[in-house]
Amino acid sequence: MSGRQSVLVHSPEHVEIALEPAGLGRRGAALLLDIALIGAGCGLLATMGRLLPASIAGAVTTTACFVLFWAYWPVCELRWGGRTFGKQLLGLRVVDGRGLPLDGRQSVIRTVARALDMAPLGGVGFFTALLDRRRRRLGDLLADTLVVEERAGRYLAFAAAGERRYNSLRTPRMRRLIAHRLGAEDREFLLAVCLRAGAMAEGARHDLFEAAGAHFRAVLEIDDDRLTGEAVVRGLASVCHGRDVD
Amino acid sequence: MTAPAELESFVERRDERWRALETLLDGAEREAELGPERLMELVRLYRLSCSDLNRLRTLTANPDLLGRVNRVVARGYRTIYQHRMRRWPRLELKQWMFRDMPDTVRREWRFVLASALALLLGAALGFTAVVSNPDDAAGLVPPGLYVEHPRERVAALESGPERIDSAEKATSFGAFLYSHNIQVSFVAFTLGAATLFLGWLLVFLNGVLLGAVAAQYAVEGVGTFFLAWVGPHGVLELPAIVIAAAAGLRMGWAVVAPGEIGRPAAIRETFTPAAWLLATSVLLLVLAGIIEGSFSQFSARLVPYPWKIAAAGVLAIGLVGWLGVPRRRSDGP
Repeated sequence: MSGRQSVLVHSPEHVEIALEPAGLGRRGAALLLDIALIGAGCGLLATMGRLLPASIAGAVTTTACFVLFWAYWPVCELRWGGRTFGKQLLGLRVVDGRGLPLDGRQSVIRTVARALDMAPLGGVGFFTALLDRRRRRLGDLLADTLVVEERAGRYLAFAAAGERRYNSLRTPRMRRLIAHRLGAEDREFLLAVCLRAGAMAEGARHDLFEAAGAHFRAVLEIDDDRLTGEAVVRGLASVCHGRDVD
Repeated sequence: MTAPAELESFVERRDERWRALETLLDGAEREAELGPERLMELVRLYRLSCSDLNRLRTLTANPDLLGRVNRVVARGYRTIYQHRMRRWPRLELKQWMFRDMPDTVRREWRFVLASALALLLGAALGFTAVVSNPDDAAGLVPPGLYVEHPRERVAALESGPERIDSAEKATSFGAFLYSHNIQVSFVAFTLGAATLFLGWLLVFLNGVLLGAVAAQYAVEGVGTFFLAWVGPHGVLELPAIVIAAAAGLRMGWAVVAPGEIGRPAAIRETFTPAAWLLATSVLLLVLAGIIEGSFSQFSARLVPYPWKIAAAGVLAIGLVGWLGVPRRRSDGP
């Protein structure tokens, strides 16, 4: 499995826009919601089909359910700007690979590719998305589309940060102390130091982290002397901002 | 002013602008037309927010703050630079049927031919294998379709009750068939587009199966039954699968050999022909399904073999006339 990678789009205004690919869990949940809705629609159509003459009832119901299943995706995606019912609920949106709204042909191609993506039991689509760093299933790869998160607030520099296995500062007591004793400026400082550390000379980096570490040790009463200044700063940044920062 | 203090005041001053842009974007998503004034305001706020995002990146690395402004700007970018096209094309059935579909099939003849050759080669191979050694049929034909004695099966079908003896059965079976076959054509398209070779192989294997089954009937001396049974719908169904696979090959070829324009542009160029080829295939499969669900199933007592074979011939001529023969058009000035 490969890590998720943001897509950077350069707008004509010379601003870099980051598109955050949606995770598979959310996409799977959105798919289930959509399928549940289609299933409910088919149930309704089958009930209504009983009112028709027997000679055409079966054919009309089969055709209507078939059309409902295959037309649902492109109609929703074009009508609601890349969002189906499930995607709207989960804050997801399908966009063109360049960050623009997808067009009708793209929507048709990514829908048609569902026939293979869904086989067997969604395995092809799931594994294709799992292996792709932008979490694109086969249909997305063919139609040059991307499912992005609209709610998440993670910035790409953060997504690029690695994971630390264990953070001894991530304790309820430390969280309370941080909440009471560190202001917005301190938190901003912790994050800025971590993110800019890579560009510093080694000596300056060591001195800065030790000085900052000593300050936060005093403020937060951290008495674990096995932690270096850098470990204290990074650990606190991680607790403050929810992810480890390298 | 220290950096965090500067950031705080910056966000405080700009927050109202970002909210106003979000409100306008919500309006743009709900309404078809924003009106000139609101549209100009949207563009103005979007450009200012772009500048804010660049400035903000120099002030902070806070993911929540940057993420929020990034999302607003991304929405603005998507709204302002969206394709200028009619989202819902007008229903121009005559133009679609008599211009777009046949023109695309003829224009993409190389891929249609490659796909048709796969089917024909496979059919020839399957037919030859079973004719030269009838025992090969057991290995080439899936157990569900494998018939040890086609002659006995034909005798049972032709002397027993009609398989389709009511409109209800005919319509339901036809609807089931075209729904299933359309999905198969989608798979053929996607396999071709994603892997090129596997799409071609799928059509080839279908050809092998068809040839092997045909040979079973021919060897037992009931080839005419097979022709009358498969012919009326087969002349539409088989070209439909060939055309869907050709759409996939067209797209797969753009991936493999994009040429000077580059892969993304080459793939985008295939969207339109692929969509028309698929539409042609779907239309043919619906017709084939209706025929297969009724006419093809009738016994010789109801419709004699020559009639069925003649119907297949007429449909084949009609298909060639529709897709293969260019029409004269009176182009405007």
